[in-house]
Amino acid sequence: MSDAPASPCGGGGGGSHESGEHSPRSNFREQDRFLPIANISRIMKKALPPNGKIAKDAKETVQECVSEFISFVTSEASDKCQREKRKTINGDDLLWAMTTLGFEEYIDPLKVYLAAYREGDSKGSAKGGDASAKRDVYQSPNGQVAHQGSFSQGVNYTNS
Amino acid sequence: MKPFLFLNLPNTEFNSSQVDCNHSMAHSSYPYGDPIFAYGPQAISHPQMIPPMLGLASTRVALPLDLAEDGPIYVNAKQYHGILRRRQSRAKLEAQNKLIKNRKPYLHESRHRHALNRVRGSGGRFLSTKQLAQSNAEFVTGAHSGSDPTNRYQKEHLSEVESHSSKDGDNSSFITTCSDRPCLSGNNVNFRQQECMFLGNSANMGGSPQFSGGLTFGGAKQRTSVVR
Repeated sequence: MSDAPASPCGGGGGGSHESGEHSPRSNFREQDRFLPIANISRIMKKALPPNGKIAKDAKETVQECVSEFISFVTSEASDKCQREKRKTINGDDLLWAMTTLGFEEYIDPLKVYLAAYREGDSKGSAKGGDASAKRDVYQSPNGQVAHQGSFSQGVNYTNS
Repeated sequence: MKPFLFLNLPNTEFNSSQVDCNHSMAHSSYPYGDPIFAYGPQAISHPQMIPPMLGLASTRVALPLDLAEDGPIYVNAKQYHGILRRRQSRAKLEAQNKLIKNRKPYLHESRHRHALNRVRGSGGRFLSTKQLAQSNAEFVTGAHSGSDPTNRYQKEHLSEVESHSSKDGDNSSFITTCSDRPCLSGNNVNFRQQECMFLGNSANMGGSPQFSGGLTFGGAKQRTSVVR
């Protein structure tokens, strides 16, 4: 069922009416709500054989899924920070949120990544990820998530 | 408020002790208004992301769903409140018309025009400067010998020109030009999307475009006809 809504969106691209409709809402652009689709495609290709291909609607569906997952975990961590009267979400809060939501199996690998990231805190790509955060209210959680994401990609590149 | 309380009562019986603590804390700390459960495709697509977790869930809770097509959807009890919270957030964004429903084929007008002007090889992929020089050399030799690949290249070029003219007509209505992202990352995003749009099912390797075989060429032809 998730593919059905995605297909019309893909097929409907390129219309002038859509361009007109999107102009008044220029404050809420695609790049503010979704991760860049090229990076997601690159990650998806690592799981494919060399001659494998990915359909565009599959990329867009995964893009929406990972963006929703980030919001899901971040909102859980945000609730915890609000209860404790703290303003900044850190990596430990995200690990706690994933434990609370039932993703205990992921905690051990994420702790390894978080420790390695904290050791190499002066990475250029991490700073670039931090610069891409635009909204002041959500700047800290987005920056934190971007840091982990960028470092995870770096680790994958090193392993391969 | 009351419907939310009504929904909480059966959940308390099924939740484990840990979830009970979280539930009571969440309920006492953040009293919600009436929960809004009327969603469009977002609600339909979101519960489907949960079924992979059913195998790992010890207890399952019935998730309220206004669109009672297949009956109640069961989710991990630990994620129940998170899902409800995300539904409320999406409902708020939808009320403010902030959800992205239709995607633009590109994000930046100037980069789109630049991509349209780039030279493409067989299969529709961009040519790098080295491949461009090789293509020019082959074109000269091809013109001398009059071979079939040259003819195909000319036909493809004509079809691309037609597609460009139609797209230019669409582009004239869209005038906004903004570039807030860093140049490199935005550039990659734009070019990849362009290649995806023209190639259809093609998968591009990072930073090294390659000539594709006949199968992809056939696919590109079909894609071009669809665009027309």
